Amino acid sequence: MRKLAFVLLAAAASAALIVAFASRGGSPSAAQASSHREAPLIAEDPSADNTDTYAFRSPDKPDTVTIISNYIPGEDPAAGPNWYTFSPSARYVIYADKNGDGKPDVTWRFRFRNRAPVAFLQNTQQEYNVTRLDGSGPRVVGDGLLTPPDNIGPRSTPNYHALATAGVHDLSDGSKVFAGQRDDGFFGDIGAAFDLVAIRSGTGASAGGKDFFAGYAVHSIALQVPLSQLDNGGNHVVGIWSSSERPKITVQFNGRKAGRDTKWVQVSRLGNPLINELLIPTQLKDKWNASTPDKDKKFEQYYSSPILAQLLNQLYPQFGPFQETNRSDLVSVLLTGLKEPNLNYTGPTEADEIRLNLGIAPTAPVGQGNRLGVLGGDLAGYPNGRRLEDDVIDISERAVGGVLIGHSLPLGDGVDANDVPYMTTFPYQADPFSGYDNTKGQQKP
Amino acid sequence: MKAKLIVGGAAAATTAAALLLGGVLTGNGAPEARALPTPTLVARLDRRGNAFAQRARMTADVAYYTRAEYVYRRALQLAPRDLPATIGLGALELSRHKFRHAFALGRRAVALSPTTAAGYGVLGDALLELGRYRSAFATFDKMVGLRPGVSSYARISYARELLGDVAGAAQAMRYAVDAAAGEPQALAWSHMQLGKLYWAHGDGVAAGREYREALRIQPGYTYALDALAQVEAAHGRSAAAIALSRQAADVMPFPQFVANYGDVLRTAGRPAAARRQYALVEVIGRLERANHVNVDLELALFDIDHGVRLDRTVALARLAHAERPSIDGDDVLAWALARNGRCGEALRFSERALRLGTLDAPKFFHRGMIERCLGHGGEARRWFRRALMLNPHFSLLWAPAARRYVR
Repeated sequence: MRKLAFVLLAAAASAALIVAFASRGGSPSAAQASSHREAPLIAEDPSADNTDTYAFRSPDKPDTVTIISNYIPGEDPAAGPNWYTFSPSARYVIYADKNGDGKPDVTWRFRFRNRAPVAFLQNTQQEYNVTRLDGSGPRVVGDGLLTPPDNIGPRSTPNYHALATAGVHDLSDGSKVFAGQRDDGFFGDIGAAFDLVAIRSGTGASAGGKDFFAGYAVHSIALQVPLSQLDNGGNHVVGIWSSSERPKITVQFNGRKAGRDTKWVQVSRLGNPLINELLIPTQLKDKWNASTPDKDKKFEQYYSSPILAQLLNQLYPQFGPFQETNRSDLVSVLLTGLKEPNLNYTGPTEADEIRLNLGIAPTAPVGQGNRLGVLGGDLAGYPNGRRLEDDVIDISERAVGGVLIGHSLPLGDGVDANDVPYMTTFPYQADPFSGYDNTKGQQKP
Repeated sequence: MKAKLIVGGAAAATTAAALLLGGVLTGNGAPEARALPTPTLVARLDRRGNAFAQRARMTADVAYYTRAEYVYRRALQLAPRDLPATIGLGALELSRHKFRHAFALGRRAVALSPTTAAGYGVLGDALLELGRYRSAFATFDKMVGLRPGVSSYARISYARELLGDVAGAAQAMRYAVDAAAGEPQALAWSHMQLGKLYWAHGDGVAAGREYREALRIQPGYTYALDALAQVEAAHGRSAAAIALSRQAADVMPFPQFVANYGDVLRTAGRPAAARRQYALVEVIGRLERANHVNVDLELALFDIDHGVRLDRTVALARLAHAERPSIDGDDVLAWALARNGRCGEALRFSERALRLGTLDAPKFFHRGMIERCLGHGGEARRWFRRALMLNPHFSLLWAPAARRYVR
């Protein structure tokens, strides 16, 4: 869940879209009494928080598909001594559905281990393994792999680009993998939300907003998979999503360590962007995050009658009317793929996945595609797969606004591209800013 | 830090809406507050309530609880089925030790959303303090099944600790520590709590390590300062203990921080300075009550421990026990009765206090005192030994007594 965007959009939308009870501020208040232990009630879990998932045919290697799944929102490069790592007790997972049934046909699971501290400092370089499941049982396709360390600064992590490049590894199933800190490739004007003069002068759908994510990093897992492994030979559409899981434990301790018998509970998932933030009501967020795409039919009403559309009508009658019900346009684009015209339809099963039509070749080098994707006439972009440069805030606003049903408004947040260029080669998202070089704050004379 | 950016407060809610259509509106196009739809207003109130509640917890200024309650109730007037306000108010009542209110709100939250973990957190915490352990544990199991994370792991840990499963409690708390990564306040709290677990079971070295880790993550974190002061004092490092304890009590004058500061001073041989702190406890207690915080059990325990108007403590403890029939309520009542020479009655409540199999040195010590008062010398020494074996420094005030009585 992209929490930052979420706070903004949810606030706009409704209480029903807000999960922020005892929330952000509501961190743990510890015991005030000698006896009553006041434990936290927070829903935040950044190290397992799946912020964005991307899937696209690699422009520089069109016979491969790149899947990027980001976690840990808003990493401040200068947050030392509290740096960021993947959670060793969690499990990170990427899924590919090749036949449109909402169930995974290929699964990659990632587990991370911390390494010994270096010179008494937290070691942000982690070891990890990758397990692949594709119907023939689990098989370890990478073990003892290393992430690069977080980008701390030129003394702690000199030559960071080389360190990061060394973090690209080959898996035994023919894929490439990278896991570790990256610049957050997402962009959007979230900061304005916290300023009463939220509407920046001259902010149009074209430009003028401030990229709230500029300078912030995420932890990223990237795979580059041979296209032939994902193509089903039929209509060539593959569905991609990702998740994170934590072990369920019980009061009556069973003494087992997390292992084969562990029951895992999914705590975050991400297919299409902003679903949790824009469509799923508060009281169902935990349930939605724990459930799998093949069960998404249960949530259909929140796609077909989005609360957001009602609110838009109340807030901005001058731009309406926004259609509040029977939004089969949203159901189709988000849950089954577009059938007419056939872009990436996968059948009647409703499932929140990024649907990538493998028959559509890349149209531009990484970062150069039309930011409005299919709405901008570029069929290789969102909602056909999702590229880094796809401006999903603008696209989603226009979609909820009704662009697919003849209600076209040039909605947007005024941020059209990432603050730094993406790389032209895998893993594509740029090196993170270092704590030393971070662009926030001000140098005093 | 993202925290600063996200705690945008109420303003965010109004303007976020405008931002959503940022491409269309210009200038002062933001809608007037009165034109906002109810859900947006309610979301704003929820956020403001959370901010007030958080401020109360951060500053120890309990007046903010009263303000938070007002705001949550406004939200519930506008939207009676609002989940965040229901859960927020439940958490607030837990903070104020109004466990019966919290129980009702927890039940309401679970009814409003049977799949939201936080509602079960409120309900389970309330059940625990009302002494309904079986239901509380089932509620925590339900919670962690919906959403494993720092909030649910910490509760599983506490439940296991209550059942005497120390290793299991530590394992669950380490999961909590891991899941709190990236949330400095939750992370510091988890380390502090893990430290307390180690300390309560005699591992002072591990406890000190966890407290220092909490302080590294959140410099000046009062709960860790207070806890670390106990470690330093137990090892005779009075100057360090006094400095830490004073800092905790100065920054957040919670009754237990101030009482602990007094104990540290008294142990360091400064009884007059200690008495000044003890007098403060009374004042703070009155302040908390005035803001609807129930501190009956805490103040009863303070009075019994420090011999303040002992004759009144039984009545005070009974009142607290009626509100909070937990093993802690049982224990404080037992201790009040014992200190007033009513040891036969005390024994009944001590047995209840230990019924879960909790390994709790102060409760063992209280039991020893009751047995001693009843003339059961051997039995008394057995309980004193158990207390000291569990944690030789279980209390600055009473561990020395236990050591004397064991001989």
